[in-house]
Amino acid sequence: MRRMVSMLAVLALLLAATSGVFAAGAREGATGDAAGNLEASLAVDTSGLLSADGQPLLRVSDDDRAVPTRPADPSALPQTDPLHWYDMEWAGWAADKSAIPESPRTGAIGRRIVFIVHGDHPWTTACTLGAQKVADAYNMELKALSPNWDLAVQNQMIDQAINERPDMILLIPLDARTAPQQARRIHRAGIPLILFNTLPDAAAMDYAITWTGPDDFGQFRLLARTFADELRRLHPGAGEIGIAYVQHAPGGSPYFARSWGPVSELAGYAPEIKTLDMQAPGFEADRTMQLVSDWLTRFGSELKGIIAADDSAQALGIVEALRRAGREDVVVVAAGNSKVGMDLVQDGRLFAITYQTAEGDGALAVQTAADWFNGKEIPMRRNLAQHIITQSDVGDFYPPQW
Amino acid sequence: MRRSERDTTSSGRTLAWVERYRIFLLFAVIFVFMSVFAPRFFNVFNLTSILRMVAMNATVAIGFTIVLICAQLDLSIGTVITFAGVVGLSLKEPLGYALSVPIAIAAGAMVGLFNGVLVAKAKISSFIVTLGTLTILQGAIYTITGGNTISLSTPDAFAVSDFLAGPLIPLITPRILLMLGLVAAFELFLRRTRTGRNFYLVGGNRNTAWLAGINTDRYLIAAFVLSGTLAAIGGVFFAMESSAATLRMGDQSLMYVISATIIGGTAMTGGKGGVFRSFVAVLALEMLYTGVILFGLGNEVKIFIAGLILAAVVLYEAYAYYRHQREIGKRPELIRELAAGTTRAHAAVDAASDGAGGKA
Repeated sequence: MRRMVSMLAVLALLLAATSGVFAAGAREGATGDAAGNLEASLAVDTSGLLSADGQPLLRVSDDDRAVPTRPADPSALPQTDPLHWYDMEWAGWAADKSAIPESPRTGAIGRRIVFIVHGDHPWTTACTLGAQKVADAYNMELKALSPNWDLAVQNQMIDQAINERPDMILLIPLDARTAPQQARRIHRAGIPLILFNTLPDAAAMDYAITWTGPDDFGQFRLLARTFADELRRLHPGAGEIGIAYVQHAPGGSPYFARSWGPVSELAGYAPEIKTLDMQAPGFEADRTMQLVSDWLTRFGSELKGIIAADDSAQALGIVEALRRAGREDVVVVAAGNSKVGMDLVQDGRLFAITYQTAEGDGALAVQTAADWFNGKEIPMRRNLAQHIITQSDVGDFYPPQW
Repeated sequence: MRRSERDTTSSGRTLAWVERYRIFLLFAVIFVFMSVFAPRFFNVFNLTSILRMVAMNATVAIGFTIVLICAQLDLSIGTVITFAGVVGLSLKEPLGYALSVPIAIAAGAMVGLFNGVLVAKAKISSFIVTLGTLTILQGAIYTITGGNTISLSTPDAFAVSDFLAGPLIPLITPRILLMLGLVAAFELFLRRTRTGRNFYLVGGNRNTAWLAGINTDRYLIAAFVLSGTLAAIGGVFFAMESSAATLRMGDQSLMYVISATIIGGTAMTGGKGGVFRSFVAVLALEMLYTGVILFGLGNEVKIFIAGLILAAVVLYEAYAYYRHQREIGKRPELIRELAAGTTRAHAAVDAASDGAGGKA
């Protein structure tokens, strides 16, 4: 028995060593001559690419708001003060990029990129599709990995990505507050990093070339104003207008941006709007329906509006609870532009949603990577364009991306 | 010995051998396969990464194995991992790791004590008790954190993180060393000490153990305390290495650890199993998962494969149990003798009837 186990162990080591040698040889062979690559890469034009909804794939924000000065201690400010959220909303603007490597200026064509997302979802599929469109344009090799919302698995995937020594890693941090350590680990391995989609804690920005994605806080400030205008139109002169928030999963930047973004915006823009409750029921329609039914029982006619972090399952749950209670007067707005959300806007059951292009999100990250390889100047942050979809223009965004 | 009998004995021996060493065979097959076919599997960085990945779940699996050997379940291990991580990191700023880590581990032990007392003294099913603890702890975690991840981005927290993740020698980081030390210590404890072996007696047959003079309640409580303590150790050191404790950091561990422990050969009926086998099973599963990622396959493939392996093992366990039940009380040699006697009797009857026919 002992002899057999020893033989198995020796066999395993031999085979593994052989495969290691082969793998090393294959890696050497893969390293090609990059001369002339830059010129060809700079000639690639991605401006004509479209997403599935017929919109330009790469819609970059032209927001030129001045970055406010950071308060000495943002956490000391009340949560209704926009500057309380400074380190999240403005994460990256004050980052120390001194340790970020210079662009090799050898062109984007033929680069290998590992693209780590947060989990399996139709949004993620569309996001990866958008990334692939830009990668194809530059003939980049894009390897997409999904940890299915598990931080330990995402950390493992980061290790695997480092092990593969790609030219760059693009990462959606699963959790804003774990992002600094993840970014630091990739940075220490000497692999360039771009963070995208989910805003990380400011400390992560020191280790990444940049961050790209939707300005969630900005979008929700815009959505909050549209929402407030509608509530004021429906309840002119009301002394107090009660609303509630169906929140995103705790931990990630959308959890804060999609509830505290509007809370802090409305505190200044429409102080008569009062928050009755905030809950994170997850992303199941039935649980959201239960939550909203409870609110309708608890607050009755006091509840006049709901802001939701998700325009699909959560929105369906909200709409169904309101329908069952005969309370279709409640104004509902939500994040995202899934098919479900856009259909609900078209039917008039959702008042407004944010345009959050999933394909554009992935595409912008890869485009920024390509720009970096091509030696272009990369801003501290690169946001997607903001837009609020209402019944008047929802038709422009069909067919939906997901 | 007749040929058929010899074959049966030989195949039976092989089957028994395979059954006995199945987890080591599974480990060897996965290791060889991945080393040969999975790109960049066999290198120091990747193997260290695999060991770092298993460090938490293997530590947790030690305690879970002891609970399972006692024929009980501990469903609270995932939330204890998270709870310990949250407590350890939350208290780091005011108290420092020197105090916050022991407090987090003690909190895990207290959860285990609570579970153990309810199971042993109040005679409530461990499934119900630990399910309740799981829910209570989830609420406590959300209350402590307010729904936020606890993270530390200070230089000293990063220094501790770097120390725990940095290699002491190739393949071995301090956290991996801690895990290996715990696995070795508990394997020796369970196999080589009378106290350790008593856990098997309690799990194998609680009444017999009691009649043999073993304080079974004390052993049950100890098993849960160990489970809580080891889950807390796994959780708090993982959080320290990550410099963060998320609210769901232990969520995936429960199914992982249950699968690995069962695949490792610890019987759900109690009285059988081992810590080292559970460790090898955790390692084998992690190698499989890593290989799946290296092949560029999705997480869903990983879950599917893990499910297949678990289903195969559970089916095999069910078959082995059925076979064992069927064999209980059987005396094959008597059956053979009886069969031989019947054959002789038949031959005698045939011979007698032939003789009678001749006379007629």
